[in-house]
Amino acid sequence: MAKVESPQVTRRTTRSYSASNDAIESTKPIEPYKPTLNDLGFRQQPLSFEDLLSCLPGRRTQVLELLRLLGPLNSPMFPILIYGGPSTGKTSVILQVFRHLNRPFVYSSCVTCYSPRILFESILNQLFHRKNSGNSYSSIKRCEKPSDFVNYLREALESVIKNLKGNSGKLSSKVSGQPNGTMIYLVFDHLERVRKWDKSSTILPFLFNLFDILKMPEVGLIFISNTSPDTYYFNMGYVEPIPLCFPDYTEDDLRQIFMANQTNRKLYSSFLDVVLRPFCRVTRRVDELSAVFSSLFKKYSQPLSDMGVAPNEDMKRRLFSHLQPHITSALNETFLSPSWPPLLKDEANGETKKKGSSRMSRIHEDFDKIDFHMSTSAKYLLISAFLASRNPATLDASLFDSTGVSDSRKRKRKPSEKSLEQKEMTELELLMKGPGTFPLERLLAIFQCITSLAEDSLDEEESHELTIEGGSSGLMSDVLLQLSSLCNANFIIKGGSCPLEGSTRYRTAVSEDLALKVARSLKFPLSKYLYRR
Amino acid sequence: MAPSVNDASPPSTINDAVTENNLQPFFVLQKGSVRKTERKLSGTGKTRRRIDLSPELPKNSENLEDEMEEEKMSMRMEAFEFVWSKIESTIKDVLREINTSVFSEIQSWVHQSFDMIRSLGTPDFPQATRSFPIITDANSKKLFTGLVLTKNMEFVDDLLTFEELGKHLKAQGCHVANLSSLDFTAKNGIGGCLRSLLRQFLMSTLDAADISILASWYGEQNYNNPVVVIVDDIERCCGSVLSDFILMLSEWVVKIPVILIMGVATTLDAPRNILPSNALQRLCPFDFTLGIPAERMDAVVEAVLVKPCSGFSIGHKVAVFMRNYFVSQDGTLTSFIRALKIACTQHFYMEPLSFILRDLVLEEDNWEFEIEQYGLSPEVTLKHAFNLPSYQRVKMTKVTSESLAHALSELKRLQNQWRAVVLCLYETGKGEKVRLLDLFCEANDLESYNRREFDACTKLEKDSVSSPSSRQGPGLIKGGVICEAVRLVRDLSTRQLGKLLKIWENLTVGIMEINGKVKELQSLLKAEDGKSSKKDLIVTPKRHASRIQLNIEDSKSLGDKAAKLLECMVRDYMQPIECIPFHEIFCFKNVDKLRSALIGDPRRRIQVDLLEFQKLLHCNCCIRGSNALLPSMHDTSIMYNLAQEHGDLINLHDWYQSFKSVVLCPSSSKMKSRPSPLPKKRKDINESENRSEASIQARFCRAVTELQITGLLRMPTKRRPDFAQRVAFGL
Repeated sequence: MAKVESPQVTRRTTRSYSASNDAIESTKPIEPYKPTLNDLGFRQQPLSFEDLLSCLPGRRTQVLELLRLLGPLNSPMFPILIYGGPSTGKTSVILQVFRHLNRPFVYSSCVTCYSPRILFESILNQLFHRKNSGNSYSSIKRCEKPSDFVNYLREALESVIKNLKGNSGKLSSKVSGQPNGTMIYLVFDHLERVRKWDKSSTILPFLFNLFDILKMPEVGLIFISNTSPDTYYFNMGYVEPIPLCFPDYTEDDLRQIFMANQTNRKLYSSFLDVVLRPFCRVTRRVDELSAVFSSLFKKYSQPLSDMGVAPNEDMKRRLFSHLQPHITSALNETFLSPSWPPLLKDEANGETKKKGSSRMSRIHEDFDKIDFHMSTSAKYLLISAFLASRNPATLDASLFDSTGVSDSRKRKRKPSEKSLEQKEMTELELLMKGPGTFPLERLLAIFQCITSLAEDSLDEEESHELTIEGGSSGLMSDVLLQLSSLCNANFIIKGGSCPLEGSTRYRTAVSEDLALKVARSLKFPLSKYLYRR
Repeated sequence: MAPSVNDASPPSTINDAVTENNLQPFFVLQKGSVRKTERKLSGTGKTRRRIDLSPELPKNSENLEDEMEEEKMSMRMEAFEFVWSKIESTIKDVLREINTSVFSEIQSWVHQSFDMIRSLGTPDFPQATRSFPIITDANSKKLFTGLVLTKNMEFVDDLLTFEELGKHLKAQGCHVANLSSLDFTAKNGIGGCLRSLLRQFLMSTLDAADISILASWYGEQNYNNPVVVIVDDIERCCGSVLSDFILMLSEWVVKIPVILIMGVATTLDAPRNILPSNALQRLCPFDFTLGIPAERMDAVVEAVLVKPCSGFSIGHKVAVFMRNYFVSQDGTLTSFIRALKIACTQHFYMEPLSFILRDLVLEEDNWEFEIEQYGLSPEVTLKHAFNLPSYQRVKMTKVTSESLAHALSELKRLQNQWRAVVLCLYETGKGEKVRLLDLFCEANDLESYNRREFDACTKLEKDSVSSPSSRQGPGLIKGGVICEAVRLVRDLSTRQLGKLLKIWENLTVGIMEINGKVKELQSLLKAEDGKSSKKDLIVTPKRHASRIQLNIEDSKSLGDKAAKLLECMVRDYMQPIECIPFHEIFCFKNVDKLRSALIGDPRRRIQVDLLEFQKLLHCNCCIRGSNALLPSMHDTSIMYNLAQEHGDLINLHDWYQSFKSVVLCPSSSKMKSRPSPLPKKRKDINESENRSEASIQARFCRAVTELQITGLLRMPTKRRPDFAQRVAFGL
C-alpha cells in the first residue's frame, strides 16, 4: 500500500520516477476487477445504423453530421464542440453513436468531476484503473497540474494505442466486445461548468488546446456544452473545435419521442393531442415534459377501467373535460411535491373535490394559517422586518410615533399627467430594486413600537391572567437570537457587516402573502402600516 | 434533544456552576478581581447566602453547620442527578414514541423508491464504475427526495429527530449518511459535502473526494440496500452547493440508488427558493410531516409533569412563565427542557428537604418516610419541615415524624386525584386543540382554586340546590381552558360522550368516588342508548320532530350531567399542589430565580453591576455605603457613574477631567494633608505626576473601550471627534 501512497505524497514526480512507479503498479497482486481494453468500448451489443437512427428520433441530421465528422475507422479528426439546450439529446447521441461504431472512448462529465484534479484523475483512471477497497479507493496518480496531466496522459494513451494496434493486427481472431480501430476519443461533457472553476483563465484554454499539445493523431476530442461557442473565448490561438448544433426538438419530434415505448398507442396519442401543444409553448425539454406527462397521463386515464381500450371521439371528449382543470395547474407548477403515503392524499383530494378543483381549494382552505411554528416574538420581528424593508425610513416617525405627524398628507391635490408618470416610474424602479435594506437599530425600533402597541390592544381585549408573568415580550437578548434564526430560515437576509460597529444591514425576502398570514395569526393590522404609493 | 440540554449545566459540575456563577449571565468586571474578593469572603459569604435561603436553621456553630451543609448538599445533588436522569429518559422515550409512525412511513417509502430505481436496471460492477451515464429514459435521472416538514422555524428540536431517523433506517438495512448544513457551505464547496459523505460511508478520509469512489464502494456492497442521504436543514445550506450536489447525485442515481431526505423548517417554498430550476426538476419529491411542536410539548408535559414520573413539580407561576417563554419567546422544546432543568437544579439547591424526592422515585407505592435513614438529626429536619410556610398555614398536629409521613402520603393521594382530573380535562379538549400546557397552568392556579372554593361555599349558603340554569361553572375563569372543556362536554353527541366516558373511567381507576360516578353515568348512557335505538326501530319511517326534539333533550341532559360531573371533579378533586402542606419539598416556585437564570437580561445586569458594584465586591472601602465616587473604585465603574450625568452625547474632555479629579482628588488632598517631609524632591513629584497623568489617560482609554465593548457607548465619529455617544439609557 505504501507504494501506492508514495506518488500522492511527493507532489512533483519526475517522469522517470512515475514511469517506474507505473511498472510496479501493473504488477500489483490480484484485484477483484481488472479493467481491460474492452472497458473503453461501450461493452454492449453494437447498434445497427437503422437502430441508431430509430432510437434517436428527430436527431437524424445531427447523427449523420457527427458520423461524417468522426470519419471512417482509424481516421484522425479535429476537435468537435457539440452544443444545444439542456435535454436535447447531446449526450445520448454521442453515447449511442459510439455504441454503434464500437470505438474506444473516455467519457468524463464536468458535473461529476467538479475540479480540475478530479477531472484529470478521472480521465487517467479510466485508462486501466478502477478504484476499489483493495487500493483504498485511491486514484492511479495524484495529478493536479495541467502539465503533469499532459505527461501522464500521453504516457497512458501511448500504451493504450499500442495495445489497440496490436489488437487490430490480429483482427482475424475477432473477440466480441473488443472495440474497433486505433483511435481513442476523449469526451468532455457539461463543458459550461468548467467556466466557473477558476474564472476560465487556465483550464478552459488548456482543454481546447489539448489537441495541439498532445499532437497525437490517434486522439479525438469531443466537447459537449449547454451553451453556444460564443460563450467561450476562441481567439486564443488554437484550433477552434468544429461546432455542431443540437436545436430544440420540434413538436413532431417530441411526439415521436413520447410515443416510443407506449403500450396503448392510441390512447397516448389522444392524450398527446391534448397536452403537447400547450406545454410546448412553455418548454421543450424532454425531461421536464416527461415528468409532467407521466403524472398527467395517470390522471387522464383515471376514469378508464381498461387501459387497453382504444378511445373514440366521445370518450376523448370526456377524458379531455376530466383532464382540463389539471392542465392549467400543471402548467403553472414547476415543483410539486405530493405527500406520502399517496393513499391519504387521494382521500384528501376526494374531499376537496367536492368543494371545487382540488389544489386551489386546498390552498384556500389553509390560506389563513401559517403551516409551521413560529414563536410570537419571531412573528413580530418578521413583520417589523417586512415593514422596515417595505416602507421608506422617512415614514417611520409618522407611522409609529403617536405624538408625531398626524395624517396631514391627506389633502389631495389633483395629480397632473406628469406626476402620475413620475409615480409610475418610481413604482417601477422600486419593483426592480426589490425590498430595501435597513440597519438593525431601525428593525428593533419598529419591533418595539409594534409589540408595545399589540400589548396595549391585548390588555384591552382580555385581561387574561395568564399574560401577567413574562407576557411582556420586551426587548431582550433573545430577540437577537430570534433574528439569527430568522436569518437562518432565509426570511431575513444579512448584508455585509462590520463586527464592532454593528452596521450590518438586513433585508427581508418574505413575500407579502406570508407577511399577511403572519400578521393575521397575530391579529396585527399590517395593511394599516404599509405605505402604498 | 440538542446538545444544549446536556451542556446547560452538566451534573458533575453543578455544584461549581451554582455557587460560583450563581447562574448570572456574565460579569463585567474582570474575572480575576471577582474571584479574589470571593475567595477573601468565601468563609462568610457562602454561609451567609445559605442562611439567607433557609433562615430557620439554627446557627450554633458555623464550622459544624458548614460540614452538615456540605453533606446534605452532596446528598441533594445525588438526588438531583437521579431525578433528572429519570426525567430526561422519560422525555427521550416520549419523543421517540411521537416520531415512530412518520419514521415507518418514511421507511416504507424508501424501500418503494429503491425498488423503482432498481427497476430501471441493475448495472454490474464494471458498468457501474464507468463514467458515462446509463441511458434508459428521461426519467432515469430523477432523484427520489423526501421532504420532511419539521413545522418549526427553530431547528434545534429536530437535530435529534434526524439522528433518530438515521438510526431507524440503518436498523432497516439502509446505508445512511447524515449531512448537516455545515457540509453545504460555499467555502468548502461540493468537495466538502462529498468528503463527509464518503467519510460516513467508507469510514475513511480520502484525499480527493470523488463520487465514482462511492460507486465502486456501492458495487462492492452487492447492490442490495438503498443509500439514504439525510440533509438536516436545507434552509441553511448554500443553494449553489446543494444544487451541484443534487445534479451530481442524479447523474449517478442508477448506479448508486441514492434517496435523499431533506428537512424543511418552514414551508415547501423553501426548496423552490433555494434551488435553481435545473436542480429542482431532478427531484422527485414527496413530503412527510412531523408532529407540530405544540403536540410534542403536550406529550412531554403529560409524561413529565402530569403523569407520575419523578415527583418533581413546578408551581403555577413557574409554569406560566415557562409557557409564555415557549409561546412568545423561543418556541423550542429544547429551551423548555432546559428551563425545566434549571428549575430542577435550583429546587434541589435551595430546598434542604428535596432529597426526599429521590426515594419517592425509587419506591413508588410502599413508600415510608424515615428520617433516620438519611443519617440526619431528626429534630433539625422535622423543625425545618414544620416551619415550611405551607404547613404554617394549616397548623395540623404535633411535630412528629409520623405526622410528616402521613402528610406526605396525603399529598401523594391528592396529587393523584389532581392528575386524574387534569387528564380527564385534557382528553375532553383534545379534539378542539386544547393545549395541555395551558391546561396545566390553569389547573395549577392557586388563586382560581381558592375562588372556586369560595364560590362553592357562597353558593351553598345562598341556595342549597345550585340552580341548573347557571351555565357558567362555579368559579371557572371565563375563556379559560377548563371552562372550554366543560362547555365541550355539554355539546357532545351521545356516542362521543360514551367514548369519552370510557376514557374517563380508565383514567380515574384509582379514585373510587369519581370512578363510581363515571360508571353511573355510563350505565345511564347505556340505558339511554337502548331506549333511543328501540325508538328508532319503532318509528323509523316517520320522522317526528317531537321525537327528535325529545332525543336531543335527552342527550343534552346527559351532556349536562357529564359537564356537572366534570365541574364537580374540578371543584373537589383538582387541588393544586401549592395548597397542600409540605408541597415545597416537591414543587419549585421561585419564578424570579428561573427568569434570571434563563433570560439573564445581560445589558441591564451590566449596568446594574457597574452602578452598584458594592453589592458584588464587598470591599472594605466601599462597604460604608456612601454613594460618593472613590478613587479605589473600578475605573469603568467610575466612568459609567460619571456618564450618567451627561445626556445623549458626552464631551470627552469634560469626562476625562471629572474622571481625573475623582481618581486624583482625595488622594492628592491626603497627600497635601500629609506634611511633605522632603520638599527637595519636587522634581521627583513632578515626574511622578507626569507619569500618573499618562497612566490616568491610559486607564481612561481602557475604561472607554470596555464601555464600548459592553455596548453602552459608541466611540467618537469623524464628524464629532470630541463626543462619545451614549447608547443605553435607563435600566
